[in-house]
Amino acid sequence: MALRELSSLEKCLGLKKPNKYSTQGERKVPVLQNNNGPAVVGLVTIASSLVRDAKKTELLGNTAEQRAVVQQWLEYRVTRLDSCTKDEVKVILKELNHYLEDKVYLAGNSFTLADVLMYYGIHYIIMELAVQEKEKYLNVTRWFDHIQHYPGVRHHLPPVVVLRNRVYPSGQH
Amino acid sequence: MAAGTLYTYAENWRAYKAQIAAQYSGARLKVASSPPAFTFGQTNRSPAFLNNFPLGKVPAYQGDDGFCLFESNAIAHYLSNDALRGSTPQASAQVLQWVSFADSEIIPPASAWVFPTLGIMQFNKQATEQAKEEVKRVLTVLNQHLNTRTFLVGERVSLADIAVACSLLWLYKQVLEPAFRQPYPNVNRWFVTCINQPQFKAILGEVKLCEKMAQFDAKKFAESQPKKEAPAKKEKGGKDAGKPQQQQEKKEKKKEEKKPAPAAEEMDECEAALASEPKTKDPFAHLPKSSFILDEFKRKYSNEDTLSVALPYFWENLDREGYSIWYGEYRFPDELAMTFMSCNLITGMFQRLDKLRKNAFASVILFGTNNASSISGIWVFRGQELAFPLSEDWQIDYESYNWRKLDVESEECKTMVKEYFAWEGEFKHVGKPFNQGKIFK
Ligand SMILES: N[C@@H](CCC(=O)N[C@@H](CS)C(=O)NCC(=O)O)C(=O)O
Repeated sequence: MALRELSSLEKCLGLKKPNKYSTQGERKVPVLQNNNGPAVVGLVTIASSLVRDAKKTELLGNTAEQRAVVQQWLEYRVTRLDSCTKDEVKVILKELNHYLEDKVYLAGNSFTLADVLMYYGIHYIIMELAVQEKEKYLNVTRWFDHIQHYPGVRHHLPPVVVLRNRVYPSGQH
Repeated sequence: MAAGTLYTYAENWRAYKAQIAAQYSGARLKVASSPPAFTFGQTNRSPAFLNNFPLGKVPAYQGDDGFCLFESNAIAHYLSNDALRGSTPQASAQVLQWVSFADSEIIPPASAWVFPTLGIMQFNKQATEQAKEEVKRVLTVLNQHLNTRTFLVGERVSLADIAVACSLLWLYKQVLEPAFRQPYPNVNRWFVTCINQPQFKAILGEVKLCEKMAQFDAKKFAESQPKKEAPAKKEKGGKDAGKPQQQQEKKEKKKEEKKPAPAAEEMDECEAALASEPKTKDPFAHLPKSSFILDEFKRKYSNEDTLSVALPYFWENLDREGYSIWYGEYRFPDELAMTFMSCNLITGMFQRLDKLRKNAFASVILFGTNNASSISGIWVFRGQELAFPLSEDWQIDYESYNWRKLDVESEECKTMVKEYFAWEGEFKHVGKPFNQGKIFK
């Protein structure tokens, strides 16, 4: 899972030469073995280093504040989203929905690595949502739809259909 | 890729649409918004301009290839790329839909509400209340639409976002205080995102959202009244302004008697915008024309001998009413350490005063050496007052100096002008040797 995600990220970043990854441990933590240097371990660390390789550091944030918020969401992705149980999914969706009420992107006013990795990580959850639930988590759905349409992002993942007009007008969020 | 010139007065939200579109598309757009390239009320009334743009209105666009366009939406459309215009027939029609919506649904109530708060239109309670209701209706429509959408059309910024955001700009700046805008979270999210995109920011700068709803500014409105006819008869207005106060007042009264106060609606938003920021335009506009051509003196000073040519020219031609001479001395000489730092202090000040160059000349000198120096200079200013308070940009340095107006006829003044302009002499009042000088011109 993480490996396909990293290869999609490489394409999204426009990196020409694909890297070779392995995994380590029971939880299959991704590892990037550099030719000359120590191995880079973990999704967030590898993703950040790919962004730097691609010279697109604006994706890590343009200001100190935005950089901090990007890091916060990358951490959220691996510590909360990746290890959540079925019951916790609803809590996460609720949290995110509230957070995204007044935001277009997760960090600051521009698209960042946080949006990409959260999109990759939450895709399977959104896929499964019924139309009614998508309407309940309207802000998440709107953000998700925007990110999946972001040029170059949606490589290995199928598109999720999002309705613009509400089917259940009473379903307030 | 389009390349050309946009004629407008400064800070025109209609021109912003075209400027932001050009930021996205990469169209090379020069903006002619200040003299000599463009003077509102003059350039756009000239036969050459009217030949290309029969309405004489701005913004107006002329391509390097000669192609001419008026109407801000058409110009913005032309300067866009396909992504901004909408790349399918449906999308481009939706873009047109929102652009028209901005003009016909947002602008009329926005103007009716905002202009009185800028003091550029008479206040009418009923009209304002009606405008508020219409603004609410428009925001509700937008809020509904943006419930499920990030941008107005498709998933990227389009001309629709540019046009609608620009037409909401004054509302968000002046009157949409937090409590008023709170019911429209989707519009707020979208608006804040738009104005923070680098392409918007490059043109709009930092936009500060309204904190407290501005109310009718009666004082400003009263003050702005005489200015109303200024754009049309600029020269005359200028001359009048120089005449003694009383005479001017009499004239004003006469005019009022002759024709009843013009209806508020008559003032269109461009005049409104101009009147709202008279100071940033030309802080010296109120002064009568002067016979002393400062530029001519600067040429003489730069190209010819100071003592034998420039100084005699200066004293012969100086218009003692239109100009004043000042001695400025740095107040904190003890803090001056290394001479190169002191020099940076002077050149930095000159840079910040850049816009003052047309109306001032100065020679500022650093005396002494490291850790024992002082800075002082002689300044020639347009008008009889210190120019610094006229513009915020100019106030940064001026409080660090003591300013003393010199009596132009006094021996002291003659000597100081001579020594400071020539960078030589006794500099008796200083007591330290000349180190180096800088000229503001
Ligand atoms: N619909 C036009 C309006 C243009 C317009 O009204 N321009 C005003 C300035 S805001 C103007 O140039 N007025 C000069 C005049 O009427 O002489 C547009 O959007 O470009």
